[in-house]
Amino acid sequence: MFLDPDSKWAQRLNPVLFLLPALTIYIVFAIYPTISVVEYSFTDWDGISPNRKYIGLANYERLFTDKIFWEAFRNTFVWSGVIIVINVGLGLVIAAMLARVWKARLLIQTCIVLPVVISPMAVATIWRWMYQPTGVINQLLESIGLGGLATPWLGSPDVVLYALALAHSWSTIGLSVIIFLAGLQAVDEDLYEAAKVDGATPVQAFRYVTLPALRPVTAVVFILTLTQSFKVFDLVWATTKGGPIRFSEILSTYMYKRGALENQYGYGSAIGVSLLVIVSAATIIYMQIQNKEDR
Amino acid sequence: MYGRWILLFVLGVIAVLMASPLILTVFTSLKPTTELVNPAWYPPLNVTFEHYVRVWTEGGFSRYFFNTLLISVVDAAVMVVIASLAAYAMVFIDFRGKLALQVLFLIGLMIPVTAIVLPLFQIVRSFGLLNTHFGVIVADLALAVSVFVFMFTSYFVGVPKALHEAARIDGATEFQIYRRVIMPIAMPAVVTTALLEFLWSWNDLLLRLLLLTQDEMRTLSVGLLNFQGTMTRDVTGLSSGTVIMAIPVVILFLFFQRHFVRGMTAGAVK
Repeated sequence: MFLDPDSKWAQRLNPVLFLLPALTIYIVFAIYPTISVVEYSFTDWDGISPNRKYIGLANYERLFTDKIFWEAFRNTFVWSGVIIVINVGLGLVIAAMLARVWKARLLIQTCIVLPVVISPMAVATIWRWMYQPTGVINQLLESIGLGGLATPWLGSPDVVLYALALAHSWSTIGLSVIIFLAGLQAVDEDLYEAAKVDGATPVQAFRYVTLPALRPVTAVVFILTLTQSFKVFDLVWATTKGGPIRFSEILSTYMYKRGALENQYGYGSAIGVSLLVIVSAATIIYMQIQNKEDR
Repeated sequence: MYGRWILLFVLGVIAVLMASPLILTVFTSLKPTTELVNPAWYPPLNVTFEHYVRVWTEGGFSRYFFNTLLISVVDAAVMVVIASLAAYAMVFIDFRGKLALQVLFLIGLMIPVTAIVLPLFQIVRSFGLLNTHFGVIVADLALAVSVFVFMFTSYFVGVPKALHEAARIDGATEFQIYRRVIMPIAMPAVVTTALLEFLWSWNDLLLRLLLLTQDEMRTLSVGLLNFQGTMTRDVTGLSSGTVIMAIPVVILFLFFQRHFVRGMTAGAVK
């Protein structure tokens, strides 16, 4: 502003000034920690003492033989799988139904999307309350004569992971529905007309027209749901902390326990790196699919 | 044609099921303690706000609420400024190394916050920013800035280059063009960015759990977590706390549904 805008100095300085605030914060508090987590993972650091020793791949070797890590690893995949089935499958069905309805559409859509903005912490509180042994879900089962199915949802080893996945899906499926809806609106109407002329039933039209046309969108929702569910920490931490025992332990909660609570920073970082690798690989695939679609 | 009505009925059931956890929570928060013996789906017969008053004053939720509000508002405002400035340079100004910078920002889309919280904690601590709202704010900004740089970039790319050229010829500096020409027409991107960053900031638990350990600094998410830990049986208190945390974002959502929907589909990678 004080310089002649056409002077050489102003030309050089401009991009620097515009980029400086964002770039400084970004490099110091996002890029640097990302490099650090990889570095920590090669050390035996406890997070407090001033000196740390490089121990090569020892943390990763430990990962491979750590039973709890593999349990958390398996749980994370099961958890993601359940959420993907619900968010992609049910999300698509709900969107396809919504696309054919005009009356009350906004109201229905609002009810389905609203949970997306609710904090995972609030979601955790609500579902923990509903899942209590005397909570509303068991009350409901008893009142319709299915009291035999009542169970302490978050306390039983076989159910807890699925119960939590359901809670996560409740709070995220709205996003899948929105993305599918946008995809459905882009499907050529003429294809449906042609299918109708050929005597196709609505289900056949869905199977042979809608589904193939939605393949790229489905891929987007799939990867998106995968990455989102891998990153979850809040919901599980605020409900079960990975319990009972370790039946709902996922990678993020296990990393937090080892790293932040037990001061095994090096080892916790190795768990963090495994999370980083999986999520960034999935994100790269996601971005490539999206790029293809934009073209 | 019964088909339409069956479809509408099924969707109606789904909508009610989706809304019911929130509705039941509101019901419980408004019930006098004596009505808790009724099934959860009974609406409150004598509506009372005593539980709200209780968590707001004794439960410390007023402090948590204003801490959260402060962090979220500053997050949203600063994010709009830094992300739009950076995107402006990326789109309208020529300089060397632009491609490398794009790749650098792209990396930010791939980093899961969860994976890097351990070193992030150390860095915030080494700057002496533990237990400060400032520390949480810069961490929030850093971890989400690339999403919004790309959001503004894709918006700016659609702005006719001639607009920028014309202003240059009139002798305006880049900053003047940014403020007077480009930002006024970028309001949709500004609104989406502000809303989304506010929402993410309002809702986050993990960063606040790590970075804010003193009670008077805490936010609603951490407050609710602690309240849940110590007051497990206080069902009415917990549901009032949950509603207090949900109300601002629900109101924002109802008013700006369109912006939210657009922003969430665009910023979904994070």
